[in-house]
Amino acid sequence: MNPQQLPLAGLPLRDSATFESFFAGKNTQVVSVLQAMITGDYPEQFIFLWGEAGAGISHLLQACCHSAAEQQLASMYIDLQHKADYSPQMLEALEHFQLICIDDIDLILDDPQWQQAIFHLYNRLRDSDRQLIVTAHQPPQTLDILPDLRSRLSWGLCFQVQSLSDEEKIQALQLRAHNRGFELSGEVAQFILRRVPRDMKQLFIIFDTLDEAAIQAQRKLTIPFVKHVLGV
Amino acid sequence: MSVNTLWEQCLTYLENEFLNANTPQQFNTWIRPLQATDNKGELVLLAPNRFVLDWVKEHFIEKINNAIAALSTTSPPPTVAFEIGSMSAAPKIQAVTNVAATSSATGQQNRETTAEQNNYQSNINRNFNFETFVEGKSNQLALAAAKQVGNEPGGPNNPLLIYGGVGLGKTHLMHASGLQLLANDPSAKVLYLHSERFVAEMVRALQTNKMNEFKHFYRQVNALLIDDIQFFAGKDRTQEEFFHTFNALFERQQQIILTCDRYPKEISGMEERLKSRMGWGLTVAVEPPELETRVAILMSKAQQFNIELAYEVAFFVAKRIRSNVRELEGALKRVIANSKFTGHAITLEFVKESLKDLLYLQDKLVSIDNIIKTVAEYYKIKVSDILSQRRNRSVARPRQMAMALSKELTNHSLPEIGDAFGGRDHTTVLHACRKMKELVESSMDVAEDYKNLNRILTT
Repeated sequence: MNPQQLPLAGLPLRDSATFESFFAGKNTQVVSVLQAMITGDYPEQFIFLWGEAGAGISHLLQACCHSAAEQQLASMYIDLQHKADYSPQMLEALEHFQLICIDDIDLILDDPQWQQAIFHLYNRLRDSDRQLIVTAHQPPQTLDILPDLRSRLSWGLCFQVQSLSDEEKIQALQLRAHNRGFELSGEVAQFILRRVPRDMKQLFIIFDTLDEAAIQAQRKLTIPFVKHVLGV
Repeated sequence: MSVNTLWEQCLTYLENEFLNANTPQQFNTWIRPLQATDNKGELVLLAPNRFVLDWVKEHFIEKINNAIAALSTTSPPPTVAFEIGSMSAAPKIQAVTNVAATSSATGQQNRETTAEQNNYQSNINRNFNFETFVEGKSNQLALAAAKQVGNEPGGPNNPLLIYGGVGLGKTHLMHASGLQLLANDPSAKVLYLHSERFVAEMVRALQTNKMNEFKHFYRQVNALLIDDIQFFAGKDRTQEEFFHTFNALFERQQQIILTCDRYPKEISGMEERLKSRMGWGLTVAVEPPELETRVAILMSKAQQFNIELAYEVAFFVAKRIRSNVRELEGALKRVIANSKFTGHAITLEFVKESLKDLLYLQDKLVSIDNIIKTVAEYYKIKVSDILSQRRNRSVARPRQMAMALSKELTNHSLPEIGDAFGGRDHTTVLHACRKMKELVESSMDVAEDYKNLNRILTT
């Protein structure tokens, strides 16, 4: 068996969370800065990203880890949504990694232990010249956390990741379809957008459902087919 | 196929598997961080810490074994072992220089770093020197003390304790002293570390029965610089150990420099004998920088970034961002990034546009409503009292304070401020501002209240 073919065997290859598969919209500068930061072309150690749910922030963090791996750099992604299962101990010794991504820091507002652990991690990363990207749904200055940590989070580059407009959401769906090897017409995309929850996370989940249904039925994604699958 | 190549292929394989399961996050949290190393044909996967190691073993060992079995070209496939450790590659950005470093760990496997192995690392950051430190009224005493200690260690200013709020330059001064010590005596063993590392290394030494090495390591340095000692609070064993280290260094007239986020006497959970020793030398405060210093800081940072910054632009940013130096630097970085990626020159208009969100936020944080609310809470009176027509001093003084702060911290006009305070005339606001200015100069208590409120509202 040729190992190179393994990922394709039996399972369809889904959209990898990379910069290429990210529809940037108004966020082209954020994407450029992140890319340049990881390749070492932009000398920044700390980036804070904030924006609404569904703006694509988690995707960007996955893309950063992926890109770091392409540069042979060690990275780790930590999603604080799972903090109940995790422990601040998982942050120990992470200063040996080039890049750490911490998602949803606003979920530890009531958790001094996590805040302290992240504060200490920040210092260790700074002293070891490593990079850290932290995200939240609000800007760092408004986070009700350990003041030492809050001021550190406003120290680096801070960007708001803008949510996509409806027009851009259509383009994002089309990009995803294109990456999967088919073209989605504007009308069909528009049709989907008008009938389902419009945040990108939900939209992509529905898009996946539609795509799978189309593959199984060996049909194209047309308005009648979408109607049929979504039951609208 | 080497085990490293095998693991690389496993990573690609597993990445796709996790993508297919719609959980790329899990891959980036648990699988990607594992680093492979070859131990006589055995594939050793290094996890950065115990937690990650246990989690991976509990949840993903089957997936990993399956991938290895599928991809290995040898039969049977190599066995897999898990260990704690990491292959520490050289950092991408070179900012910190281990000034006295003689050995480099680049590319070396760095499994259990003990204090002994750190022997040669001073951890002093060259960028934090006296040249890049901007002097102002708010920090001149601390600066003078840090310089003095840098040139005459172990003297009457031992220990030197620098305290103050976040982001005001305490760590910078500490490193600068360390650099000065090294400049005067390159063979000096100057050690900087954050309090957390002292705690962590002590715990590790206890676990590995290496307390004697730990003690020896810290007691033989010529200067010990420990940042944020407030984190020692409540850690009795650490305090005990630090106490003895302190005594040993002090007796040998070796310099100790400490920083703290508050006046050390105010730290609860810190032993009295330790607090009292910290006060033996010199204790100096750093205050939030005033406007002129903030402008100078921006100009100096811009110079470090090789950016030309017009005075009026620096003045604008400094006037609007008052809280601390970190936020000021963050704002400048944002302007520089925008300029770099759009190719636009840094003009006043451009800066206003670049910092629109941040400035909007500042305005929102220090709105007149918020000032009134904060002042009312501070003096334990009601918001309605401030807005009322009552004139007794217990209400009038806080009202004047809130008016003066509104003028200082917002861009509202005097008539607008008067309106917001229950429809008062702008001359009343003007009178309040003059009165407060006078009181801040003549009364220590009012000055203290004014300073505190200013800090509460802007950080």
